Amino acid sequence: MSEASLPRIALIGNPNSGKTALFNLLTGSRQKVANYAGVTVERKEGRMLGEGGRNYAVLDLPGAYSLTPASLEEAVARDVCRGFYPGEPAPDLLVCVVDATNLRLHLRFVLELKSLGRPMLVALNQMDAARRRGIGIDVAALSRELGLPVVETVAVHGDGAKELIRKVDAMFAAGDIDAQQVLPVQGDLHAEARRLIEASVRMPRRTARIDDALDRWLLHPVFGLLVLAAVMFLMFQAVYAWATPMMDAIEAGTAWLGHAVEQAMPDGPLRSLLVNGIIAGLGGVVVFLPQILILFFFILILEESGYLPRAAFLLDRTMSAAGLSGRSFIPLLSSFACAVPGIMATRSIQDPRDRLATILVAPLMTCSARLPVYALLIAAFIPQRKIWGGLELQGLVLFALYMAGIASALVVSWVMKRWRRDGGEHPLLLELPSYRLPHWRDLMIGLYERAMIFLKRVGGIILAMTVLLWFLLSFPAAPADATMPAIDYSFAGRIGHAMTAIFAPLGFNWQICIALIPAMAAREVVVSSLATVYALSAANDDAASQALMPLIQHDWSLATALSLLVWFIYAPQCLSTLATIKRETGSWKQTAFATVYLFALAYGASFITYQVAKALGAG
Amino acid sequence: MPLILQYVVIAVAVVLAALFVWRTRFPRSWRATRIAIAIPMLREGRPAWLKSWGRRIAPASALASGECGGCDGCG
Repeated sequence: MSEASLPRIALIGNPNSGKTALFNLLTGSRQKVANYAGVTVERKEGRMLGEGGRNYAVLDLPGAYSLTPASLEEAVARDVCRGFYPGEPAPDLLVCVVDATNLRLHLRFVLELKSLGRPMLVALNQMDAARRRGIGIDVAALSRELGLPVVETVAVHGDGAKELIRKVDAMFAAGDIDAQQVLPVQGDLHAEARRLIEASVRMPRRTARIDDALDRWLLHPVFGLLVLAAVMFLMFQAVYAWATPMMDAIEAGTAWLGHAVEQAMPDGPLRSLLVNGIIAGLGGVVVFLPQILILFFFILILEESGYLPRAAFLLDRTMSAAGLSGRSFIPLLSSFACAVPGIMATRSIQDPRDRLATILVAPLMTCSARLPVYALLIAAFIPQRKIWGGLELQGLVLFALYMAGIASALVVSWVMKRWRRDGGEHPLLLELPSYRLPHWRDLMIGLYERAMIFLKRVGGIILAMTVLLWFLLSFPAAPADATMPAIDYSFAGRIGHAMTAIFAPLGFNWQICIALIPAMAAREVVVSSLATVYALSAANDDAASQALMPLIQHDWSLATALSLLVWFIYAPQCLSTLATIKRETGSWKQTAFATVYLFALAYGASFITYQVAKALGAG
Repeated sequence: MPLILQYVVIAVAVVLAALFVWRTRFPRSWRATRIAIAIPMLREGRPAWLKSWGRRIAPASALASGECGGCDGCG
């Protein structure tokens, strides 16, 4: 059966109803992630195999609270459900995923969806959590009162969607889809949702004893903030404490590969491209994959457990004092993975001034592309020792760099707020989901996706930039009467030397200067670029095959390393981020402002860092 | 491997890398260039092989989604 003729099922529901977990369970790894045509809202589609062997196309729609959209995501969800979205055929069946522990909110949306009159099925998700809390749901009564088929699901259990698949199969096989009469709801949806709950749900006296007990501590204005700081602190400690064996293995593998290629090929430009360019460059970046995965392992746990919205709640007061809306939290949090989705997530902020402020500070959040740069410099220049009774000094420095990014964002937004005519604040309305234990399947899928994103960048933009940089560092060749190393006569060598006039006050040598140019494509390219520059600058093959870390340890001062670390906190070394700012603001003026202020901050802060460090004897 | 062949391989790799960077980092100008190249190739009266190349070079519709590069809504 061709792709286009597959029956199409759309998963829709309120945010945090477990749609994506259910989607992962239904489709396994057979999923395709893209954007909706014309807008950059994530579109996830996968294939589901029915029990009778029938294939279905399953679409995971963006979470929505209502069909009256307050954000772009909600507008996309509404239009796809109605079949109005360009290039997106109307789904044959809507599966409305509802959180069984929060029916009062979720049933209202079911009733709203019902008014579309499209074939529909309700998946009562998180039934295990509902039972644990003593919430009794009479599924047959709910189905009867709603006038829709209702099935129980537990998206985090391997067989938690069997009944749903069986029901979908049955509906398509019996032709119920076309025959289903979905009658719109008349009157007040809230009142109708309350009536449905009274008719079919038995609530315990205390529905969330565990949630309440945990929230008493975790949302405490003082203790809660201390816990949040401790959680983040431990996260960065683990990045250094756990990653070393894997990193050593990858480093050894890269060195072995470089050596093997060197032995197998005769000396020549192609061998230089492979060994000094591609293997040295890419190997220098791939080595940081374990650290990235450990960091995202913790972030996924926090996300799955329901702690992140509580962190948003805790930081709301601080953020509003700095001139940011509570709604800025999620976009800024997304920016820790990458500023591009973070900036796009600002579409959920209705106030244009709040949105602009969030867009302009999002690049200050420490994205995962900075991690290889930080990890390299910290490992090379910060001693690996424990302080204050067992804390890793390197982890502490990494934590400080992340904090510096956050603090800078708050200061910048506070300054912007002072310039704003409209100083009004917007209240934060946030749904706090129940706590739940993260499930290994979703953690593994999340980590797999993150690893693939990183490896695609390594095999894509980082590889391309490494090849181009190797070319610029290798040509033209040195003249016959050369008195300097050959690399000094290359295109890149000349550009790098010219740039030192600007960057010498920051302590940057010509190798750093030249690595900053390809790093405009992606920050982590600076690592592969430095590896290529130093491999090509080496006096002999033995020196060229050394890992990057000892080379920069020998060549740079501590003041230079600190200055470069500070540069990467602020510098907008990412063309994609700048392009996204342009697209989202629709203004060259705002894009130019973001570029200039971030580079100015980077230059000023690096200058101060270098000069102070030098004065203290680190130069 | 003869030196000349090594330089050919390197030249191909460098051109491909440059095109990749252009396509991924400057998608608008990449798209505009593809359109500018494809349109003359697709004019009436052009030989079939040239039109076939023109269709390959022309970018998919801005509204395209899915794998086929078209509207994803065909039967």
